[in-house]
Amino acid sequence: MLRHRSKLMGQINGMLMFLPYLVVLVMFAIVPIVMAFRVSLGPSRLYPEGGFGNYLFVFEDFRFLSAVGNVSLFLLIYLPAMLIVVAVLSLLLDTVQMKYTLPLRLAYLVPAGISGSVAILVWYFMLEPTYSPFAGIFAEIGLTEGVQIFNTTNLVYIFAIMAFFTGAGNWIVIQYGSLQSIPQDILEAARMDGANVFQQAFLIKLPLIRKYLVYMLILVFASGLQIFVEPYLISSSVYPGLAKDWSLNQLSYTLAFTGSNLGAAMALSMVMLLVSVIVALVIIYRTDFFDEARGKMKEKTIG
Amino acid sequence: MNRKLIGAAVVMSGVLLLSACAGGGTTSSETGEGVDEVAAGPRTLLLYVDPVREPAALAYKASVEGEIDVTVEVLGQEEILAKVALANQTGQGWPDVTFNPSNNVGVFQDPLNGYALNLDEYVDSAIIEGYNGSGDWCLIDGSYYCLKNDLAQTVLWYDTVIFDELGLTVPTTMEEFAATAMKLKGTGYVAGAIGDQGYYAGYLWPSGCPISQVLDQETVRINPDAVECTRVIELVQPLVDAGVLDSRGSFDAGFLEDVARQQKVAMNIGPSWWGQFVIRPEDSWAIPAGRIAAAEMPLWSGETTNWSGEWGGGVWVGNSHAPNPQDVADAIVFLATDPDMRADKVTFPGYKPAFEAWSATIATDPYYVGDVTAAMVAQVPKIRQDERPARFDSRGQLGVLSTEIQGSGDIDAATRKFMEGLAELAAGAGYTVVK
Repeated sequence: MLRHRSKLMGQINGMLMFLPYLVVLVMFAIVPIVMAFRVSLGPSRLYPEGGFGNYLFVFEDFRFLSAVGNVSLFLLIYLPAMLIVVAVLSLLLDTVQMKYTLPLRLAYLVPAGISGSVAILVWYFMLEPTYSPFAGIFAEIGLTEGVQIFNTTNLVYIFAIMAFFTGAGNWIVIQYGSLQSIPQDILEAARMDGANVFQQAFLIKLPLIRKYLVYMLILVFASGLQIFVEPYLISSSVYPGLAKDWSLNQLSYTLAFTGSNLGAAMALSMVMLLVSVIVALVIIYRTDFFDEARGKMKEKTIG
Repeated sequence: MNRKLIGAAVVMSGVLLLSACAGGGTTSSETGEGVDEVAAGPRTLLLYVDPVREPAALAYKASVEGEIDVTVEVLGQEEILAKVALANQTGQGWPDVTFNPSNNVGVFQDPLNGYALNLDEYVDSAIIEGYNGSGDWCLIDGSYYCLKNDLAQTVLWYDTVIFDELGLTVPTTMEEFAATAMKLKGTGYVAGAIGDQGYYAGYLWPSGCPISQVLDQETVRINPDAVECTRVIELVQPLVDAGVLDSRGSFDAGFLEDVARQQKVAMNIGPSWWGQFVIRPEDSWAIPAGRIAAAEMPLWSGETTNWSGEWGGGVWVGNSHAPNPQDVADAIVFLATDPDMRADKVTFPGYKPAFEAWSATIATDPYYVGDVTAAMVAQVPKIRQDERPARFDSRGQLGVLSTEIQGSGDIDAATRKFMEGLAELAAGAGYTVVK
């Protein structure tokens, strides 16, 4: 009886702790999504009767497929780069334990301070041969004109570089934190068994932080799929039109705000949301993302 | 499993939140301003202008000090459509007066948008007549929905020092223009840059290429195969190939550094604001005094009129939802036409008394060689009127055109891609596209 009551109390406490987040979740995610879905089924010029016509409009739009191609290529470059570099650099940071490790962590956060519109300007000046501090190097490999670098072929790499440098530092510090949570006794045991630094890193530490990497992958995918600021700003200020409607989110913005077609814009947003959710679900169910970390570790130690 | 499900729900909610934030981050709400006017209270007006128009807006604010409470907000020209769309969605917060790229009036006049105020009742017909037809861009379905801030009629700008040095004469036909440009080959001089709006405004439009010829509210003519388009491509491509028309944009960092600021632009077709805003300023082309003159547009063969196109030529649009439309219209009239206020602004006003005051300042300016306003005034009635405001964002596609030109230098491919995009947009906006 007593045991039953304490279980109930535990559940109530759990609910209470979840409540503040639930409020935020409903207000800023669920409600907007429901609103967006309703608008996506609403009337538009070509589909005055509403329904799924707006979805059809998006799929038939002449910019849709190229935006899908652009964003896919971007994700193909950006996701592995983030995953590999973040994992390797955080392992390095964790392995080389010295007096300056702590202040060094700050250095990883610095590039993240240059984000959004500032990052666009910084990278424009870095890559524009007329202004770049690397103009000499560019000239050596025959790049003397802005258009040789800022052209439609290179855009995907430029955006991947921008997004990588603004995002990687944060994640390195986070993954460094997750490495710190590995119990010392496991590492001690590994050392006693004769594992060298590399074996410790790739056979012990990496599997133990895998879940954090998976979590990162889900969030990085969702933000990468929605890339907007980089192409929008390049296209509206520096090189007008260069990356016009380059990404799916840009196309959604164009449809909503200059195409007078909010329904189609919302339809596209819903499609992107659906893709994010499906990808996240696949990643979650194809990995042991939610298995108890401790239980897993016990198995490994015993095994 | 149960735990897994709950966990999945938590991660999902994270993804959802991220989506919501990303979407929300791109738009900032502009609600509540300028609409809380009550009949007995103070009169208020909210103005949205770009940075170039800020001095004019502040002059207006000063002119009605104590009478109308004016708020001026400065934002990029490309933001106006989005801001109005947002207000349309929330049903409040419309700016009362906006400065717009010229095509926006087509979008705003569309009943589905409904932002543009019909000015017929509120603007004196004498003002409209003062435009001598040059303000008819704003005439849609028999009513005026905007006033032209300025005319951006193209003229032929040329550098008299270079012309003297090479013994060139000012071309009066496009064939002569091409021949003159070809004489620059190997000299290091160019006949301007073409990887920007200049190709559209200075070549395609004056030639009469059907780019966005809105015939009526249901029909638009777009046809890259029309002779008015192909003759432009045939004339321009060899000049680009010969390097006498730079395929970069006129504001491209490299073009500024290697060409414009080295005083290597012998001539170029450019709008009326080119002199004061591009050629002259120290931080732009910085061409010294005593070199620059302007001539009338060269004539395309087969035409009887040497037409101009327009690069810019923004419009003032009022808010149809405003509680006091007369105040809105009066503000627009002041901003577009007040001769004293307009005299020292960079752009050429469309309203006759205003451009006379403006011309009086520029005509005697010793910076220029001779009176550059003569050519501008001559071109006023010759702004080709078959390009019309459309309810799709035709201006947004101009960037696609310049990107293509800069990237490949293939004028034919760039022109076609640009116009195919416009045809798609037109169809999406419910127009029937005809050749």
